[in-house]
Amino acid sequence: MAGCVVPYIDLESCTRCGVCVDVCPAEAVVMGLAGPEFSDPEACTYCTLCETLCPEGAIACGFVIVWEGDSRRGADGPEGGVC
Amino acid sequence: MPDAADFIRRMPLLANLPKDVQARISRRMIRRSYSAGETIFIEGDPGRAAYLVAEGRVRVHRTSRAGREQVLARIGLGQLFNTVPLFRHDARNHATAQAATDVTVYAILREDLLRLVQDSPELALVILRDFAERLDHLTNLVEDLSLRTVRGRLARFLLVHAKEGTVRRQWTQEEMASELGTVRDVIGRALRSFASEGLIRMDRHRIVLVDREGLESESDS
Ligand code: SF4
Ligand code: SF4
Repeated sequence: MAGCVVPYIDLESCTRCGVCVDVCPAEAVVMGLAGPEFSDPEACTYCTLCETLCPEGAIACGFVIVWEGDSRRGADGPEGGVC
Repeated sequence: MPDAADFIRRMPLLANLPKDVQARISRRMIRRSYSAGETIFIEGDPGRAAYLVAEGRVRVHRTSRAGREQVLARIGLGQLFNTVPLFRHDARNHATAQAATDVTVYAILREDLLRLVQDSPELALVILRDFAERLDHLTNLVEDLSLRTVRGRLARFLLVHAKEGTVRRQWTQEEMASELGTVRDVIGRALRSFASEGLIRMDRHRIVLVDREGLESESDS
């Protein structure tokens, strides 16, 4: 489901600094036991702010490039998203 | 045509200067006329004077090594130009000025201008303010130029990558930026402007290409 796609967080390079949790305007991210996680994936607007501000470059907001009306595989679901 | 003193009093840039400063400036002003198309000074030549436009319009431009001309500014009535090089060590004109119409200017020689500025903090402030505006103008110009070429490259990039493969790869803005020789921020802005012009639609993680013709013509530019 397209509505569920969220930024990809690389927990290996994440230092649990909490910046992404603090800056997310949608309050979609919380700090979990293993690191930041999406408590409310639907709320994420994919604004890319967390990607911009993560000091470790641990967050990636990937985009797929598609034509209007294209429903081929991959046009919808990225591999990275968490939910 | 008013005389120099009269001109200064009516010129917004200098009108508020103390009377004695105005008088000192006007004594240093040399009136010159140029016909439309005539060159006032040439890029790279020693910068001998600053100019105030009393009549007509002046076009300031630079020529790239490839011979392409870039207009930096169009200067009109009451505006000052060629001040920047006069404050530099090498004092070379960094652009060419040409009369866009028949033009009358008042020239102030470099030595005179430097002395006037030393004697009058009010005049120094006027020139600083003028510099600030010019810096602002050039900053916008640079941004505009780099954004424009990035738009072309980005449009091409999107067209190419929307076609490729059955399983799509994902691109972060950072990756797109390094593909296109720019920075992430500029890509973000270019994408937003494409979206607001209806060329694409940002649908969460999908960049949806909407207007093929528009993107193609953008990529040609
Ligand atoms: S800002 Fe980056 S490093 Fe910090 S917790 Fe979030 S993902 Fe991890
Ligand atoms: S992309 Fe935007 S809304 Fe989504 S988690 Fe990051 S900051 Fe929050």
